[in-house]
Amino acid sequence: MGSGDGHDMGVQHRSERAINCPSSGTSSNQLPKKVATLATSTMSMYKSSNVADPFFGSNWEPIVSLNQSENYGGSPMVSHTEFSNSPYGAIVMENQGIRNTSHFAQYPSDSSFVELVPKLPCFGSGSFSEMVGSFGQPECGQTANVGGPRNYISNKEGCNERTSTNGALSQEEEKISEQEAIEASPNGKRRKREPASNSPFNPTKNVEGKQQKDGESYDVSKELNEKKPKTEQNNGLSGKQVDEQSKDYSNSGEAPKENYIHVRARRGQATNSHSLAERVRREKISERMRLLQELVPGCNKITGKAVMLDEIINYVQSLQQQVEFLSMKLATVNPELNIDIDRVLPKDILHSRGGSAAVIEFGPEMNSSHPYPRALFQGIMPGIPNSNLQFPPLPQTAVDNELQNLFHMGFESNLDMDGLGPDGRLKPKL
Amino acid sequence: MNNPKLLSLNSTTSLISRFTRGFIQALIRINKQRPVTSSSPREMYIRHRRIKSAADKSMALAVRSRRNWSRAVLARFRKKRRRHVLVRRITTCAMKKRGLENKKSGHKEASHGQANELRRLVPGGEAMDLCSLLEETAHYLKCLNTQVQVMRCVADSYSTI
Repeated sequence: MGSGDGHDMGVQHRSERAINCPSSGTSSNQLPKKVATLATSTMSMYKSSNVADPFFGSNWEPIVSLNQSENYGGSPMVSHTEFSNSPYGAIVMENQGIRNTSHFAQYPSDSSFVELVPKLPCFGSGSFSEMVGSFGQPECGQTANVGGPRNYISNKEGCNERTSTNGALSQEEEKISEQEAIEASPNGKRRKREPASNSPFNPTKNVEGKQQKDGESYDVSKELNEKKPKTEQNNGLSGKQVDEQSKDYSNSGEAPKENYIHVRARRGQATNSHSLAERVRREKISERMRLLQELVPGCNKITGKAVMLDEIINYVQSLQQQVEFLSMKLATVNPELNIDIDRVLPKDILHSRGGSAAVIEFGPEMNSSHPYPRALFQGIMPGIPNSNLQFPPLPQTAVDNELQNLFHMGFESNLDMDGLGPDGRLKPKL
Repeated sequence: MNNPKLLSLNSTTSLISRFTRGFIQALIRINKQRPVTSSSPREMYIRHRRIKSAADKSMALAVRSRRNWSRAVLARFRKKRRRHVLVRRITTCAMKKRGLENKKSGHKEASHGQANELRRLVPGGEAMDLCSLLEETAHYLKCLNTQVQVMRCVADSYSTI
């Protein structure tokens, strides 16, 4: 068993790492794997071959981190508490695959671990090798229940696994320094969601992340936490984990249970649910500000919301003033020349062709009105190609008649305006 | 402003063409109703107001109800039609009073103060949070640009002919 444990642990690490990398999101995978590995003495479960003991000390972390990312699968593993007690605790936590709130930051001493063992119903004097085996197991499809993931069951009974894990944990504890694992990555706690960083994560992280659904194990783990000298870590972690947990549930991208917009807490950032929502909101706002920056001319170099807002406000005000001035200008204009305007506008605006020049040629004074329209029309007709408005060519008639005819014909033929009445009068569209 | 960026709405017509059509039709109507015979300031002013509201309305119509600001503008026009101008004046006076009071009351954050100002500028912006307000502002800016361009063309063609 002992030797097997060492091997198991090593295997676990490897397998876990391998597992972690590809599928951080599948909590279920990791948990069952770990439990299975621990519980089952079947080395066959391990992907990798036996590894030397030295692995344990250093490799625990990856394993731990693995579990951390999972959690939601919620395999209420009873062995939870036990794991926390020992350096294997990290593994246990992983196996648990629970949510983040773990209280296992500390690894209990052997004695405490031993104490825990009896508490767990399923756990007996298992073998470490079993535990290790369960950890190393990548195949575990799901976290399953306390009894252990299916994989475990396939290999062993859930209880057996548990017990074995316990045993393994206690053994490992001696070999591996919990402290190292725990202290290794103080940042671990925050990254509940970084699968990539799983490997460097501390077991402490795992501890935090894992939440035991099992009430019993939960209590046990809590006890352990209290006892451990590393309580401070745990406490801090647990606090965060609570948040994380809540966030995990609401924001979990790994276990999308709800139709939320899943947000991930980035490395080094607060993972409070409020701050996450704040961050999303801020990003939205900055995105819109960038959009506006493109619209407002001369704002490429401006950085800062306040200055940008000032610019936007000024620009909107200036545009509105321009509309006023232009309407004032139009109010002074003689309306009799509307026809050519119809023609001209599409050209000027839409096509920017030289046709408008032809129109302009005709334009002496607006006030001399009457003779113009005909000339204008004649001149305009050839010069102005059909615009989008697609007004048909106008017959030569009196100004007013022409205007009316033009509009009628143009509107009737081209316009899909609802407001256009039979007499050609435009009705407001509302 | 590029046409492709503008709304491509209900049909193949672009925002510019829709707005232009509506605006010119309104202009024609206005000119028919009140031919520019007298150049009294009051007459001018009335025409000015009408043309401006025609521009705003046709722009809002071109956008239909897809945007908050266009909806607010159209609602404003509907209210105008139903109520008397007097009522509107009263409400505007009341609003001005309220505005003054607000200014006196508290000092808000710089960004909040600016956001409020933006809300005043963009029609229908009072009831929007900053995020959607910025979005509406972007669209509103696009449409304002179109409006200015079209009106400038119309005015130019008027003046040149």
